[in-house]
Amino acid sequence: MNTKKLMEDFRLPLVLVLLMAALTLISPRFLTVANLSNVLWSICVIGILASGAIYAPITGGIDLSIGVLAALTGIIVDIFMNRMGINWMLSIVFTIAIGAGIGLFNGFVLTRFKVPAFIVTMAAKTYLYGVAMVVSNGGMLAILGPPEFMAIGNGKTFGLPNPIFIMLAFIVGSHILLRYTVFGRQAIAVGANETAAKLSGVDPRKVRLIVFTISGSTAAVAGIVLSSLTQQTFAGAASGIELEVMTAIVVGGTKMRGGKGSVVGALIGAVMVALIINGLNLLNIPAPFHPIVTGIVILVALLLNQGGSPMKFSKNIGAKAKARGQA
Amino acid sequence: MTKRTNADDVLLDCRNIVKSYNGPMVLLGVDFSMKRGEIHALVGENGAGKSTLIKIITGVEPRNSGTIAFDGKEITHDHSKNAAQDLGIAVIYQELSLIHGMTVAQNIFLTKEPKVPGLPLIDIKKMNEKAQALIDKYRFPLKATDYIEKLSIGQRQTVEILKALSGNASLMIMDEPTSSLTATEAALLFEIILKLKADGISVLYISHRMEEVYRLSDRVTVLRDGKKVAVLEKEQIHPAEIIRLMIGRNLSANELGHSMVKKETEPVLEVEGLESEGEFSGITFTLRKGEILGFGGLVGSGRTEVVRAIYGIDRLDGGTIRFLGKPYKPSVKNAIAGGFGFIPEERRLQGIMAPITILGNIGLTNLDTLSRFGFLGGKRELVMAMDGIKLLNIKPAHPDIPVGNLSGGNQQKVVLAKWLIRNLKLLIIDEPTVGIDIGAKDEIYENIERLAREGVSVILVSSDLPELTRLADRIIVLRKGRIVKEFTEGVVTEEMVLRASSGLEEGGAK
Amino acid sequence: MTLTSMRRLILIAVMLVLGAVLTILNPVFLTLGNIMTLFQEASLVGIVAIGFTLVMITAGIDLSIGAVIAVTSMICVNFLSHTPIPAPLFIPVALAFGALVGFVNGTFITRFKLPEFISTLAMKGILAGLALVIAVKDEFGFVQNVYIQDETYLWFGGTVGNVHVVTIAFFLLAFLTQTFMKRTRLGTNIYASGANLTAARLTGINTDKTIVGVYMFSGVCAALASIFISSRMMTAMPELGIGSEMDVIAAVVIGGTPFTGGIGDIWGTVLGAVFLALIKNGILKLNMSPYIQPIVIGGIIIATVIADVWYKDFAEKLVVNAARRKEILEQSRGDVA
Repeated sequence: MNTKKLMEDFRLPLVLVLLMAALTLISPRFLTVANLSNVLWSICVIGILASGAIYAPITGGIDLSIGVLAALTGIIVDIFMNRMGINWMLSIVFTIAIGAGIGLFNGFVLTRFKVPAFIVTMAAKTYLYGVAMVVSNGGMLAILGPPEFMAIGNGKTFGLPNPIFIMLAFIVGSHILLRYTVFGRQAIAVGANETAAKLSGVDPRKVRLIVFTISGSTAAVAGIVLSSLTQQTFAGAASGIELEVMTAIVVGGTKMRGGKGSVVGALIGAVMVALIINGLNLLNIPAPFHPIVTGIVILVALLLNQGGSPMKFSKNIGAKAKARGQA
Repeated sequence: MTKRTNADDVLLDCRNIVKSYNGPMVLLGVDFSMKRGEIHALVGENGAGKSTLIKIITGVEPRNSGTIAFDGKEITHDHSKNAAQDLGIAVIYQELSLIHGMTVAQNIFLTKEPKVPGLPLIDIKKMNEKAQALIDKYRFPLKATDYIEKLSIGQRQTVEILKALSGNASLMIMDEPTSSLTATEAALLFEIILKLKADGISVLYISHRMEEVYRLSDRVTVLRDGKKVAVLEKEQIHPAEIIRLMIGRNLSANELGHSMVKKETEPVLEVEGLESEGEFSGITFTLRKGEILGFGGLVGSGRTEVVRAIYGIDRLDGGTIRFLGKPYKPSVKNAIAGGFGFIPEERRLQGIMAPITILGNIGLTNLDTLSRFGFLGGKRELVMAMDGIKLLNIKPAHPDIPVGNLSGGNQQKVVLAKWLIRNLKLLIIDEPTVGIDIGAKDEIYENIERLAREGVSVILVSSDLPELTRLADRIIVLRKGRIVKEFTEGVVTEEMVLRASSGLEEGGAK
Repeated sequence: MTLTSMRRLILIAVMLVLGAVLTILNPVFLTLGNIMTLFQEASLVGIVAIGFTLVMITAGIDLSIGAVIAVTSMICVNFLSHTPIPAPLFIPVALAFGALVGFVNGTFITRFKLPEFISTLAMKGILAGLALVIAVKDEFGFVQNVYIQDETYLWFGGTVGNVHVVTIAFFLLAFLTQTFMKRTRLGTNIYASGANLTAARLTGINTDKTIVGVYMFSGVCAALASIFISSRMMTAMPELGIGSEMDVIAAVVIGGTPFTGGIGDIWGTVLGAVFLALIKNGILKLNMSPYIQPIVIGGIIIATVIADVWYKDFAEKLVVNAARRKEILEQSRGDVA
């Protein structure tokens, strides 16, 4: 029994190691500090988003609005700081509050009117995009200051880019929230069996409201980091990022139907997907193939999650991609 | 196969049916036969093997051995559900197979709708006409164009029957069909059954309700502990006799019965005049500290509804409750805070969270005691989980196993454990040992008895008569939503409880 | 069912009022040309929405339809036009591709029991990438615009008299699909599978096959729409249709088909598509910022869903109370008897 559980716990990191081994074999450029820190850096925004967005699938729902919310909050924080002259720290606080508020609204519509999560958040994705366009006048806003704000995305601490620390902080925080707090337990319970959870004294409505508020807040943080990082913001930023976030979450072992989730797994999932993309780049496979591979990865992960017998993840990802590139 | 012809024209002939589920034998060589155009009741206690026999006849489960002949033709070992349907065996599910958003006619003819000649289109007019003709033949107050959602449960059941009829069923199996019906609807159902018989259709009727069995049946087959103990002809059908046959184990143990114990301790729960529209009324009783109060009654008598209302899950329309001497408003939150637990009837649907570990399940009810400022520390939870595992002897004894992987008995123990760990004052248990094998049952009984010894009050709802009489200090019997009998002292036998549940007079023949 | 009819009447009334207001504010609205354009827009969304309606009736979702449009338009315009295959044959190829995608979607959902929104979302990603891969690129890797010249193909984007071909196709498809759903056994089976999967199975319906078929139809509708779209534009881009799911969902939701499945009909979707086109057209004609459009559409979706829930709760309470009262009356009479 213990060995089985051990196997399950280490399955994901094992695949990660195998993947890295495969990539090292494929290209000598893989195992360099420059390349690896690049990979980590590329997933910062996804990691922050995943840390908050993971709670929705755990309770059996989904939040499709996180991408647009990240774009919108990037715009808003810029407006606060650079158009309204508000202090950068306050601007960040206000922006996160707005993100939380939007998340709370989504949760409210969901719980009060029993509308499926994907509809509520998909509609939110639409109208928030419109709002973002209106507020930004459809244009691209360059962000050049204030310097403290720019440091968030572009500064380094101990030699590593700041966003990596922010992401790690959120991952760790979310991990603790999920594993070691009452709320985390209740969220898992609601997703596993809502009736049983209710009979054990859990209030699913309250739980869901908090879930979506968290989702919105982390989306805001992601948006702030993203806009600082890229030194710009526009309504279409982070477009389509929901799929990448969901891929990371699913690959990391979270079940979309609820009841099971792993934040650290989501991080590993994000890293794995980034590594795969990195591998594709190293193999000079053109950009359009990347989303195809990502899509296939999430489907495979879903199949494995649902299925019973643990199949061995193919070591030949690199070879497969190579074959496709030559097709 | 040569067709068996005899004067009585046997429709269904099951011989020597043996069935075991991975070990325990459920049917030990049962013979069962039905004639054409006969109303035949199948009775027996829970666990006697009735449902299993039905599943074998309808092809849902395969039998280990034995022969089944239907309409003279032998049915092979692996006959499937659809094959049974094609032969003309229909089960009435009590509305489970009806589609909302569709009319009566549409439901009756689903997948068999009459077509417009030459086109792949459904002839709606013809479908409605045929449906109405069928309805009118039995003089139901239904219209072919009524939508299912607008019908009452009794009416929907009628549609189920019509659906079976349109499929040329020659044998209809009905399992406790009146449990959700009003008196008027039940009367209508009986008329329908009699009309079916007049049309040469056989009805296999499973019920605990003696007055129905007495009223309707041409013959009765009694099952007990997986064996057929009797087949009674019409003249021999008496409810009291049937009950005696159903229960009569080794008579000595049964005659002894169990003594009721009167407790003089302080009252823990006092309910008065509880009522819920359409479910129950006039429920009054007092539960004392350390007492096990048994709730007896037939399926549908309202027991589960009463306890759910007391716990705060379902609505209560009237009555007062006092808990530990103080007025109490039913709600799950109040209950848990006050040391009041509830183990639901369907543990798989409502009691356990399958993907979560034993530790997680046990911990969930106890998060308030485990956490500091909302945070949970690893060690205390583990200690609590191990305590629970040890206390109830849960196997496998690892806290990290998802509960979904445990056996039924161990799953039930997990549900029990999460409440036992708390400082409970009162625990409601609804059908504690359904689907659990004998060995595990005893363990659970010991735990319940130990609880009571330690001063916890227990309300035990159970349809398992030996279980009820063994564990309870006092037994209240419900029937049709009202308390009809309270056994407070003296010796109570299973037969006595069943008679009270069935509304029969105390002692002697009917 | 009066509930549905009343809802539809309200919808039509609102449209008439909006139309009147728009005409007052901008008389150009009520010209033949504009009305025809409005219907053309409605039809382009509507064709996809018809397929999506069936998916919703089975209580599912298909988020990949936008990407199907992109890929099939790429297949026709960029790929096949470089082969000796004659243009009219593009159409069956495109439809077959749509059916294939639907088959894969349906299989994932029925056989492998994957959650619909994630698996179709993943499919969307794959197809979007595929569209880019197929796109013809120049030596620098930039996508080239290929212009269609074949007359047969272009006919789809044209008009017959004053009415656009696509509008005719839309209404024709709506009529055929509605007849199919309400008047054939297969259509009834689809409703049954969506309303109550277990009951449908118990009655002998092969729900897996039915659901896969529905997703295939959805894919075909998307493919069909892409032909009209690319024909009208005389070219195609790999982004074509991506993100159009919202419009489609809006049309179906406004039309009154619920997510829970088992209920819904095509004429409702037709109304929804026309309503949506009206809103979009109105926003344009009033010279409002085009950014208002997604806000309005998203807002309408939420408002419609909430209103529908409210209304259903309200109506249900009425029915339940009436039934309960009747039951109790019967029961008390029965006990006395």
